[in-house]
Amino acid sequence: MTISVETTRGGYAERSRWTSAAPSRPGALYLLCWFCGSVLLAFLVIPLVALATHQSGQDLVEAAGMADVRSAIALSIEGAFLSAALAALAGVPLAYVLARTAFPGKGLIAALIDLPLAVPHTVAGIALFLVFGRQGVLGEPLQALVGLKFWGTVAGIVVAMLFVSAPYTVNAARIGFEAVDPRLEKIARTLGLGPWRTFLRITLPLAWRSIMTGVTLTFARSISEFGAVVILVYYPMTAPVMIYELFLRFGLEQAAAAAVLLLIVSLALFVLLRTLAQRGAPATGGR
Amino acid sequence: MSDAVAVEALSLTLGAFRLKKIDFALARGEILIILGPNGSGKSVTLETIAGFHRPDAGRIVVAGRDVTALPPERRKIGFVVQNFGLFPHLSVAQNVAIGERGHHAGRVHNKDLLSYFGIDHLANRAPADLSAGEKQRVALARALASAPDLFMFDEPFSALDAETRTQLRAELKTFLRALAIPAIFVTHDHDEAMALGDTVIVLRDGGVMQRGSVAEIFNKPSNSFVARFVGVENILPARVVARLSNLLTCAVDRQIVYATPPAGVLPEGAAKLAIRAEHITVSPVPAALGAARTRNTLECRVKALRVLGPLATVEVECGFLLKAYLLSPQVQAMGLAEGNLVEVQIPPDAIHVMAE
Repeated sequence: MTISVETTRGGYAERSRWTSAAPSRPGALYLLCWFCGSVLLAFLVIPLVALATHQSGQDLVEAAGMADVRSAIALSIEGAFLSAALAALAGVPLAYVLARTAFPGKGLIAALIDLPLAVPHTVAGIALFLVFGRQGVLGEPLQALVGLKFWGTVAGIVVAMLFVSAPYTVNAARIGFEAVDPRLEKIARTLGLGPWRTFLRITLPLAWRSIMTGVTLTFARSISEFGAVVILVYYPMTAPVMIYELFLRFGLEQAAAAAVLLLIVSLALFVLLRTLAQRGAPATGGR
Repeated sequence: MSDAVAVEALSLTLGAFRLKKIDFALARGEILIILGPNGSGKSVTLETIAGFHRPDAGRIVVAGRDVTALPPERRKIGFVVQNFGLFPHLSVAQNVAIGERGHHAGRVHNKDLLSYFGIDHLANRAPADLSAGEKQRVALARALASAPDLFMFDEPFSALDAETRTQLRAELKTFLRALAIPAIFVTHDHDEAMALGDTVIVLRDGGVMQRGSVAEIFNKPSNSFVARFVGVENILPARVVARLSNLLTCAVDRQIVYATPPAGVLPEGAAKLAIRAEHITVSPVPAALGAARTRNTLECRVKALRVLGPLATVEVECGFLLKAYLLSPQVQAMGLAEGNLVEVQIPPDAIHVMAE
């Protein structure tokens, strides 16, 4: 048997099939790739290890005991969850139409989605300030009509986080939907499932892992966002803003303790979410 | 009116592609093959019948219901695609249960289906762990669970190796015969068409080239495109030089052969002859001395001889080139070699005269 490429399976069995198939190993090539990769890995890991080992446990406990540090971290987590939820709610449907339909201007929309990734986040913050600030085109009427304020509130934090992190959800979900074989959807239709049930029972579960990977990235990007948040909402302080302020006011030691605390919390959440995402779709039994 | 399925003057425009007034009907339990090269519109025809394209004109009637305007989920048509298209995230039992019709059907029905197809022991397996044969059975059980009035197959075997394909083809035919549900089977493989089908339509560029029984299509192709596509080995340009009601005299280059006239309009002038290699008899020269020389007995020289396992193909020069089959032991018994003289016989009714 030659390598079997099974296109009917969506993204599912394909992945394991490709990685488990190990053809002849070009030793020298792999060795060089590993060498280059190790340099990058070391570069990524060493600063975080340095940060973590810089602190004594006592410093950490002390930092964790500070009410404003704790509330800043809680605020970051709250904002990131809301931002990830909103990205999923609005971004997944957008990803679906991008994956399944053809229309003029589709390329432009895809480019627009990627735009926030190219904009410096302080620039994004200023743009958002013009729109959601006290005199902003949306900020002013929204406060007047429904009392929704974007300055000094979680809403403002979420807006800043969402702007810079939503592309991850849309792009990952789009790739996930595109990997679902349209013929599976067609078969579901002939079996008597309407368009909605086909989406919920076939398409969504098959794209689930990609979507969750995207949402996890959005969450991670949100919790780490500084530039856009600091311009739109300085107070109440999210953890990155708080660490910045501690650094300016008290210097490295104080800031580093809070930084390690944030690092631990966000890494733990990231690992947890990733694990959940890899679990696959929620139970799809029954009708 | 007794047709189980009727497709009437189905027309569709899809970008640059057009389906041109496709017409056919199936009786209960009949297997219709749609045969055609890539891009001839086979799959589009199936997808239109299934409800994924809205036809410009025409009607689709399944089990007495006009389904032309219905969405796919209300047409009651079972659809099987290449590699069988099982849902990879669902177990075998869940795959079969997903389309079960009627809330009263319940689990008993599902269990019966699994045991009917001999797959009850696979109920909790994932599709990725099944063999091709098991997948086919799950796909059939799943389609059957939604109580279809018509089965459609879009080249389900095209990614399988030859041996598995032959095996699954036989199994599928047995199941379809037992279920007596009409089926449309799309393929570009004429062997598959011959093995599975009752009737065949040959499609080219979105139009029907020929429609008929398997024997008709394979032995009496309506033109040289169909002849080539159904694997006729000898397609010869000829001229009809004399016409009698029971015999046509044709000239192929300088050689004269006699053919039984086809039904319908008698061709005249330029024509094409279709001769299947298995209808040609090759024997040593001289044949039994004094034996009556029947019509179309030609003396030819062997130009090429290829022994391929049990079968040998012989190419002979009789004023024109002709391909014939021999059994390998015959080749040995005759002591046949390239350059030998042989006697070739073609029964007149094995020569099919086509206008083009």
